[in-house]
Amino acid sequence: NEELWVQSVLEMPKRRDILAIVLIVLPWTLLITVWHQSTIAPLLAVHKDDGGDSQRDLAAGLDSKEYCLSDRDIVEVVRTEYVYTRPPPWSDTLPTIHVVTPTYSRPVQKAELTRLANTLLHVPNLHWILVEDAQRRTPLITRLLRDTGLNYTHLNVETPRNYKLRGDMRDPRIPRGTMQRNLALRWLRETFNKNNSQPGIVYFADDDNTYSLELFEEMRSTRKVSVWPVAFVGGLRYEAPKVNAAGKVYGWKTVFDPHRPFAIDMAGFAVNLRLILQRSQAYFKLRGVKGGYQESSLLRELVTLSDLEPKAANCTKILVWHTRTEKPVLVNEGKKGFTDPNVEI
Amino acid sequence: YVYSRPPPWSDTLPTIFVITPTYSRPVQKAELTRLANTFLHVQNLHWVVVEDSPRRTNLVSNLLEKAGLNFTHLNVETPKSLKLGVTWIPSHTPRGTLQRNLGLHWLRDSFSNTAPPEGVVYFADDDNTYSLELFEEMRYTRRVSVWPVAFVGGLRYESPKVSPAGKVVGWKTVFDPNRPFAIDMAGFAVSIKLILEKPHASFKLEGVKGGYQETSLLKDLVTMDGLEPKAANCTKVLVWHTRTERPTLVNEGKRGFTDPRVEV
Repeated sequence: NEELWVQSVLEMPKRRDILAIVLIVLPWTLLITVWHQSTIAPLLAVHKDDGGDSQRDLAAGLDSKEYCLSDRDIVEVVRTEYVYTRPPPWSDTLPTIHVVTPTYSRPVQKAELTRLANTLLHVPNLHWILVEDAQRRTPLITRLLRDTGLNYTHLNVETPRNYKLRGDMRDPRIPRGTMQRNLALRWLRETFNKNNSQPGIVYFADDDNTYSLELFEEMRSTRKVSVWPVAFVGGLRYEAPKVNAAGKVYGWKTVFDPHRPFAIDMAGFAVNLRLILQRSQAYFKLRGVKGGYQESSLLRELVTLSDLEPKAANCTKILVWHTRTEKPVLVNEGKKGFTDPNVEI
Repeated sequence: YVYSRPPPWSDTLPTIFVITPTYSRPVQKAELTRLANTFLHVQNLHWVVVEDSPRRTNLVSNLLEKAGLNFTHLNVETPKSLKLGVTWIPSHTPRGTLQRNLGLHWLRDSFSNTAPPEGVVYFADDDNTYSLELFEEMRYTRRVSVWPVAFVGGLRYESPKVSPAGKVVGWKTVFDPNRPFAIDMAGFAVSIKLILEKPHASFKLEGVKGGYQETSLLKDLVTMDGLEPKAANCTKVLVWHTRTERPTLVNEGKRGFTDPRVEV
């Protein structure tokens, strides 16, 4: 008995050592097992912080099925995961597309911005600059922008109403959207440093037009100013730049005033941000602009005809349509209104 | 990670079958493009596009292929005698009827021998505007769900009247509020189960008074107290009955100025 007792005393430190080893090794084993499992269960990996306000959809490429690890599953797997997020995750390599949209309050405003946002939500690295023609930024727009999840900047400037130049017989009104677009240009120049290398493209997108997703990828490679056809402008199915065999723009396929310096619609061109910052005094002309010359008033300060980069398969494809929305008939509202004015439309 | 559009299909989410009648006109491609851009965000959406044409056109076929959506492409031509334009006949076949019925027929045909998925059927015209929230509201419809629609009936919006108990008890409209279902096509969705249960329920083709098209279908499916109000008990507007202006093409002249091979 004494011998046994001495033996057990000698063995005790050994058991304590074993216990110590187990207590140290066990948590690491557990940790490694769980971490390995997580590289197989896909859902966890989706929660990367991309710095934007992207709304994460619960969908990931693989369903959350039960995965049982067996000895044979310890294998390195490289999986391509198809992930949907809204908007798409920000990329460090894509130039940012700054979409400038002037907007004003009217019954269809929310509808227009909703369906425009639904399009923009597919475009990676998009920054929406929404400029209200209003004295103050409205709650409707504030809420809408926030709820979309898009990267945005919300500005406002009110176009003076019924402005008339004394004695000027031409239409003295400032074309709609001009002050708003100019405000966006000023904001860009105040926000981005000429010398910084953040590549960007500026595109003027009115809130009632229709844009294909392909269009945004075409404009992304703009070096100075790129151009393409636009449907439903100038009284035609489409207007388009004339492109020669060498791929240079040499004229305009339009019926209305094809000799304008830039016979192109607002939706038919994009400008590299660098150029906007370099030519810091280039703005849309406010007053005394003939109908159809608004775009020229900006572009002639930025670029010459030969510098233009034709996109959309050398300007043979339509990727943007100048659609217009009918004014809804609200005759049954009557004088005092039938519907609840607190219900936002 | 590769960005996928639409979101991956889920085995557990009910399917939304969207039936869209469409017809050829200058703005058709634009309308379908921006509609597709909206649908591409909605999980488990199956788009049933029904052309009013004798043949499926390349324009629509190509658009559907390129978009990446789950789709079915059908066509049926409305006979000239029934088309709008015969204005002296007070009752007529409203536009899109034959096409919507063909969509219903296709659904019933597709699931005659197989178990249908859980889900809803929604009639979405190609010029309306739909919020993404709308589709999540309609997804869990047991029989027929309803909600407000903007810019119909000469109002900012029309809406079902919902009692404090959450039951539909009437219609907040100026135009004929006593219709059995004073609601716009865009204001309701029907569960697939119900569509299959009532195989004879269709939109009436002829002799339909203005504003009664929806009733002609719904009366065979449900009664008013069986309706499920959505959109916060019908207090939020999630769909707008927008209409697109016809573009001026006056400068095309007689012989056409633009290249007709360039698709618009």
